[in-house]
Amino acid sequence: MKYGRVYVEDVRVGDDLPSLVKGPIKQIQLTRYAGASGDFNPIHQDDEFAREAGMGGVFAHGMLSMGFVAQALTDWAGAGSVRKLGVRFAGLVRLNDTVTCRGRVLAKTSKDDTHDVEVEVWAENQKGEKVVTGRAVVRVPSRA
Amino acid sequence: MASTLRKEVVGKEYPPYAVTVERGKIKEFARAVGDLNPFYLDDAVGRASPWGDIIAPPTFPITFRDEGADTAAFLRDLGTDISRVLHGEQEFELHRPIQPGQTYLCRAKVLDIYEKTGRSGPMAFVVRETTVTDGSNEIVATLRHVTVVRL
Repeated sequence: MKYGRVYVEDVRVGDDLPSLVKGPIKQIQLTRYAGASGDFNPIHQDDEFAREAGMGGVFAHGMLSMGFVAQALTDWAGAGSVRKLGVRFAGLVRLNDTVTCRGRVLAKTSKDDTHDVEVEVWAENQKGEKVVTGRAVVRVPSRA
Repeated sequence: MASTLRKEVVGKEYPPYAVTVERGKIKEFARAVGDLNPFYLDDAVGRASPWGDIIAPPTFPITFRDEGADTAAFLRDLGTDISRVLHGEQEFELHRPIQPGQTYLCRAKVLDIYEKTGRSGPMAFVVRETTVTDGSNEIVATLRHVTVVRL
């Protein structure tokens, strides 16, 4: 159900969002993300720089993983549905890591014609370690 | 090599700056994330959408940088450098989608600095907020950034 659209009537508290698997992360994607985002911090490009900075080598932009989490939300609820997304970068994503984005519905609130769904979101690496944790609010339509 | 940050930066407001969103930059960003949603990439789908054009992905406003400013100035203001900073937290509040051809005004300020000692030693957390308004001065997005500085 790619590029989905959910209706408020179909959402239940406790529902799991469809998971989204991204990666394995390659250097070229970090270089491409640097160009697209304007974040040219060498810590994401230059392994020697990242080692000297005490980070044990290159790691992905946190914002790239946040972009994955946003994609998981919009693949489920539709483009333009995200009203709020807040995350903590809980762990580093390394080259060749696979990032799986997940989510769970925490609450639904409806007021007049506005229906908001609050979601717990997170992303984990291939070892099951959380690299991103957060919350989001998506606005969804009603079938009525 | 413990150091401290210049806490007088708290409350500082940076000069507002304008950003005009280019259609190609939205598409480049979506492709870089690997998000091939047609509402971001396909002009025909955008035209037929409720927004009348393509829209940007939720995290796109992170690209709104002040091209006229020295990006290292903020780190110098703090008294640190790029090898010591990490992105700790990020939040977006989105009131309406960002669209190509629109010019937005961004206002950034430093809200808070606090220190904690973590597994890897003393760290400072710098909280900034950027407010993005459109041509009619309505807020379209608010970004909250938490930068972690290894002291």
